[in-house]
Amino acid sequence: MDIAHRILHRLDRFSLAFGHGVAWLALALVLLTSLIVLLRYAFGIGSIALQEAQLYVHASLFMLGIAYTLRCDEHVRVDIFYRRFSHSGRAWVDLLGTLLLLLPLCVLILVTCFDYVIVSWQRQEGSADAGGLPFVYVLKTLLLIMPVLLTVQALTEALRALLKLRYPQEPDADKPAGEGSAWN
Amino acid sequence: MELIPLLMFAVVCVALMAGYPVAFTLGGVALIFALIGMATGTFDGNDLTFIPNRLFGIVGNTTLIAVPLFVFMGVMLEKSKVSEHLLTSMARLMGPLPGGLGIAIIIVGALLAASTGIVGATVVTMGLLALPSMLKLGYKPELASGLICATGTLGQIIPPSIALVLLGDVLSSSYQQAQLKMGLWSTTTVSVGDLFVGALIPGLVLVALYIGYMLAHAMIRPEHAPAVDRAALGEEQGPLLPQVITGLLPPLALIFVVLGSILTGTATPTEAAGVGAFGAMLLAIIKRQLSIATLQEVMRATVRVTGMVFMILIGASIFSLVFRGFGGDDAVHQLFEHIPGGVFGATLMVMALIFLLGFILDFIEITFVVVPIVAPVLLAMGVDPIWLGVMIAVNLQTSFLTPPFGFALFYLRGVAPEQVATMQIYRGVIPFILIQLLMLGVLALWPALATWLPAQVYGQ
Repeated sequence: MDIAHRILHRLDRFSLAFGHGVAWLALALVLLTSLIVLLRYAFGIGSIALQEAQLYVHASLFMLGIAYTLRCDEHVRVDIFYRRFSHSGRAWVDLLGTLLLLLPLCVLILVTCFDYVIVSWQRQEGSADAGGLPFVYVLKTLLLIMPVLLTVQALTEALRALLKLRYPQEPDADKPAGEGSAWN
Repeated sequence: MELIPLLMFAVVCVALMAGYPVAFTLGGVALIFALIGMATGTFDGNDLTFIPNRLFGIVGNTTLIAVPLFVFMGVMLEKSKVSEHLLTSMARLMGPLPGGLGIAIIIVGALLAASTGIVGATVVTMGLLALPSMLKLGYKPELASGLICATGTLGQIIPPSIALVLLGDVLSSSYQQAQLKMGLWSTTTVSVGDLFVGALIPGLVLVALYIGYMLAHAMIRPEHAPAVDRAALGEEQGPLLPQVITGLLPPLALIFVVLGSILTGTATPTEAAGVGAFGAMLLAIIKRQLSIATLQEVMRATVRVTGMVFMILIGASIFSLVFRGFGGDDAVHQLFEHIPGGVFGATLMVMALIFLLGFILDFIEITFVVVPIVAPVLLAMGVDPIWLGVMIAVNLQTSFLTPPFGFALFYLRGVAPEQVATMQIYRGVIPFILIQLLMLGVLALWPALATWLPAQVYGQ
C-alpha cells in the first residue's frame, strides 16, 4: 500500500469510528424523549432544561452525523444518469462535485458563521428562557464543527475519487461492510 | 434582472442530473451564483451574512426533533423483523379471500407507511417479501407490482409520516409569511399536528379505493388474483390464531398509540415519535430480536437518514437565501399574477410543476426548495394551508408512481425478480395512477375532505 492509500484508510477509520460514536446519540434522544413524556404525563413535571437538552442531543446527532453520512454515500443523489455512468465517470462526478461545490460550500459556512459563534462565546450566551440551559454558545459551535468535519470528509472523498481514477482496476470499496443502505 | 432567479433554478436542475448529492449541489450552485452576482454587482454580498441565523434556525428547530425519532422507530421495526411478521400473519389471515393477498399487502403497506413514512422502505420491504410469493401463488405480475408500488407511496400521506412533518414545518412558516404580507398581524398558525389530522381522511379514502379496486379486479378476473389456501402460506409457522396475535397486535397497538395521541391532541408529534421509538425498541426486546449489533445498526441508520435530511435542509436554505437575494420571490410573484384563472390557475400550475419535479427530486428536496417559494404566494391568495399540504402530498405520491421516472418504480425494479419485465411494472401502476388522479380531483372539489377533521379536533 502506498502512502495515499494509507492516508485514505486512516481517514476512513476515523470517520467511521466518529460516526459510530455519534450514533449513540440516537438512543440517547429516544430515552430522553421518553423520559420527558413520562415526567410530563405521569407526574405533571415539565422541565425546560430537559427539553433543551433534548434539542441539544438532536442537533448534535445530525450536525455531527453529516460527514459520516457522506462517508457512507447516503446523501441523496439524482441518479437517473449517475448509476449508468462508468466507474471512472462516477469518480469524475464525485471529484468535480467535491472541488467545485462541496468544499466551497464548507468554506462559505465556516466564514459566515465564524464571527457569529465567536460573539456567542464571548458573551457566554445562555438560554432565552428562564430555567433553560446556559450553553447556547456550545450549541452554536456546531455551526463550525459541522463544516470542519465535512471538509475533512470532502478531502477524503476527493482522494478516494482520485485513487479510483488512478487505479481503475481496483475493486470498488465504496461502501464499508455493514454500513449499507438504511433499509435493506 | 428577473431572469437570474429562473436561470438559477434551471442551472440547479441541470447540475443535479450529474448525480452529485443534492444537498451539496443546491448550496454549491447558489454560492457560485452569489459570487458571480457580487462580481457583477447584481447580488448584495451582505445577504450572505444571514446564513448563520438561518442555519441556527435549523439547529434550533424543535418541530423537526420528530424526524430522527420516527426514523429510529421505522428502522427498528424493520430490522427487528416486526414488519416481516406483520406481513406474513396478515397474508395468512386474508389469503383465502378473493384478492386476499393483495388486500393484505395494502393493509400492511398502510400500516408500515404509518410507522416509517419513507417510500423506499415500504416498497423495498414488500418487494422483497411479498412479490415473489404473490407471483408463485399465481398473481398477475402487473397487478402485484402495481399494487406494491402504489401501497409504498402511501407513506407520504398516511400520518405520522416524515414527509408530513417536514411539509408541516415549511407550510407553517410560509403561512405566517403570507399573512404578514396580507397585513394580518394577529396571525393564525398551522402545525404539523394539523397536517397529520388533515391527511388522515384522504389517506384512509385512498386505502379504501385501493382495496375496492383490488376486490373488484379479483371478482371480475379471479385468475389474476386467486384466493389462496391457508396451507400454501406457511403451515409450518404453526396455528393461525397465535401467529396473528403475536404478529399483528403489538405493532397495531404501537401505531394506534402513536397516531391516537397525536390525533387527539394529547401529545405533540415529537412526544408521540419518542414513545413510538421506545415502543418499537420494547417490541424488539420482547421478540428477542434486539442484540447490540441490531441496536447499533438501527442507531447508525438513524444518523445517516437524519444527516441526509438535514443537509438537504441546510443546502436548500442557502439556495433560497441567494434565490431571494436575486429577487426570486418577486419573480415568482409576478409570474403568478400573469397566470390566467386566478387562484385555481395558480394552484393548478403549482401542482403541475411539483408533479414534474417529482420525477427528479425526492419529497425532501421539493418540500425544502419548491414549497417555500410557491406556498407563500398561494396562501396569500387565500388557499387553505392544510388543504394545500394534503394536495402536495397526494400529488407527489402520484408523481412517484408515474412511469418512466417515478421513484417507487425504481425501488421496485431494484428488488423485483428478473422475470418481471419493467413494462409490466409500468402497466401495473396505471390503474393506481388513475385512482390517485381521482383522489386529487375529489380533493379539489371537496376541500372539506382535508379541512373538516382538523376543524373538529382543534375546534376552530
